[in-house]
Amino acid sequence: MSEQNGASVIEVENLVVEYGKGARRHRAVDGVTFAVQPGECVGFIGANGAGKSTTMKTLMGFIFPTSGSARVFGHKAGTVESRRRIGYLPEVALYYPFMKARELLELYGGLSGLSRSQLRARIPALLEKVGLGGKENVLLRQFSKGMQQRLGIAQSLIAEPDALIFDELSSGLDPLGRYDLRQVLLELKNSGRTIFFSSHELSEVESLCDRIVMIHKGRVLKEAPVAELMKPLNQFEVVFVPPAGFEIPESAARHDLRHDGEMCRLLVNDIDDYPRVLSDLTARGVEIRRTASRTVSLEDYFIELVREAEEKP
Amino acid sequence: MKPYPVWLIAKSVLLEAVRRREIYAIVLVATLLIGAVMTVDFFELEGLTKFYREVALKIMSVATALTVIVLAARQLPREFETRTIYPLMAKPISRLAFLCGKLLGVMVAGAFCFGLFMVVYLCGAAYLGSSVPWALFAQYIYLQIVMLLILATLSFWLSMLLNLDAAITIGAIFYVFAATFTTLTTYIYDFTSPIGQFLIRVVIYAVPQLTLLDLSEKAVHAQAWAPLRFATMAQLTLYGLFFSALYFSLAAIWFRRKPL
Repeated sequence: MSEQNGASVIEVENLVVEYGKGARRHRAVDGVTFAVQPGECVGFIGANGAGKSTTMKTLMGFIFPTSGSARVFGHKAGTVESRRRIGYLPEVALYYPFMKARELLELYGGLSGLSRSQLRARIPALLEKVGLGGKENVLLRQFSKGMQQRLGIAQSLIAEPDALIFDELSSGLDPLGRYDLRQVLLELKNSGRTIFFSSHELSEVESLCDRIVMIHKGRVLKEAPVAELMKPLNQFEVVFVPPAGFEIPESAARHDLRHDGEMCRLLVNDIDDYPRVLSDLTARGVEIRRTASRTVSLEDYFIELVREAEEKP
Repeated sequence: MKPYPVWLIAKSVLLEAVRRREIYAIVLVATLLIGAVMTVDFFELEGLTKFYREVALKIMSVATALTVIVLAARQLPREFETRTIYPLMAKPISRLAFLCGKLLGVMVAGAFCFGLFMVVYLCGAAYLGSSVPWALFAQYIYLQIVMLLILATLSFWLSMLLNLDAAITIGAIFYVFAATFTTLTTYIYDFTSPIGQFLIRVVIYAVPQLTLLDLSEKAVHAQAWAPLRFATMAQLTLYGLFFSALYFSLAAIWFRRKPL
């Protein structure tokens, strides 16, 4: 569905975006480079003011790069062609309060090139999908913030786009809304759509994404597949009493071993090694006193990375 | 540029104008004013019908022009303020098509407003037994729409340079004082120095003379005036289109590179 001869869906290269002029010039994005491949779900995370929304707005053509480039489906970001296969959810958006939900989706669907018969078939199902079933003829001024956000998701999906760009995905949603949204995203992900989204809900990012791009002060801080990133963050602790003349087995040697009196504390950073380490230690006659797992969340890791970056001169 | 997306944007502007009910409020106030004119009893019948035409047409012109100025000036600032522009411009539609749609919507809403006034006016005319000079009247309506186009495009452009309030104020001042300015320059021209005359000519050519497009006086005194010739109407149309195209182009150039 999202395939385009293996080319990236999103390509950002050395992107620089500056606001203001003269002394008030501010660099919001400072040489960001990354790509999103077809079918990938990529989380774009960073603190407030890190440059996430600016990057996403550049991808949509709302603002223009000072230098560098941004391409979507091989087209220069901002061109009509680049937006043809994209569904976009803005960070904060209100929808015309004088319109009904159905009329709004007809407008956005029509602008995306859908025929009236296509819209008639899609709108009720789509509203049902985002939890707004039966609200077709309700004026949007009567919609709550959460309902507006759900409608925003519906408008981004109306043309069944190949790729989705969501800025602050779960903003304004209650826990139930977040759960529903996660289900919708999982469905989209499983159908092979490319998803690129920013969120402050890092547990959401961790559970949904294949890869993350961390940004801080306009620069990419870290870019890695979630599995690869999280693997060393999940530590397993083994506390044992070594026998006399104990020699550490090879499987445990590459992990962090600390001596604490007559006891040893081994921190295994790789879940794949853990069973082997345990069996090798037991085979060497160690007395295992305690085992525990220490899971570091993406949020903890993110905070640590940002603090490190802040401390750098 | 495909026409259907332009029409969709225009339809949303029209829907807003209709659902927000401002137009009805303006029409209601104008109707009351026109109704008040009909109660005047210090003219004989012919004088009253002329007075009715004069005042009613003036009220219609002013009310429609102000409606169009406000509608046009607020289109873009309102989109930015409520951030409705983001999901809209995320769709495969060019900025030019968006702007054309907004302009078309404002013009259709203006025409709708004018249409409502016409119904009120014709009802009043029928009540007073006043004949309607149809040919001249049709020309009056047509040129009013040309004038509304100038005002709408000017307001669009102003709304990109200034904030909403300033754009509306300047648009309204421009409309209200345009006629006064033309009259004033006509009077003072002969008494001005050559440099002053040159400057007046520059201003007259550079600023659209809306009075040229106002046939209300002729429509009031219809028995004394024949309808304008086709060539004159064509020239006036071109004159209006020139300024409309100029203002719209300036607005489009500004909007093309404007960060959203």
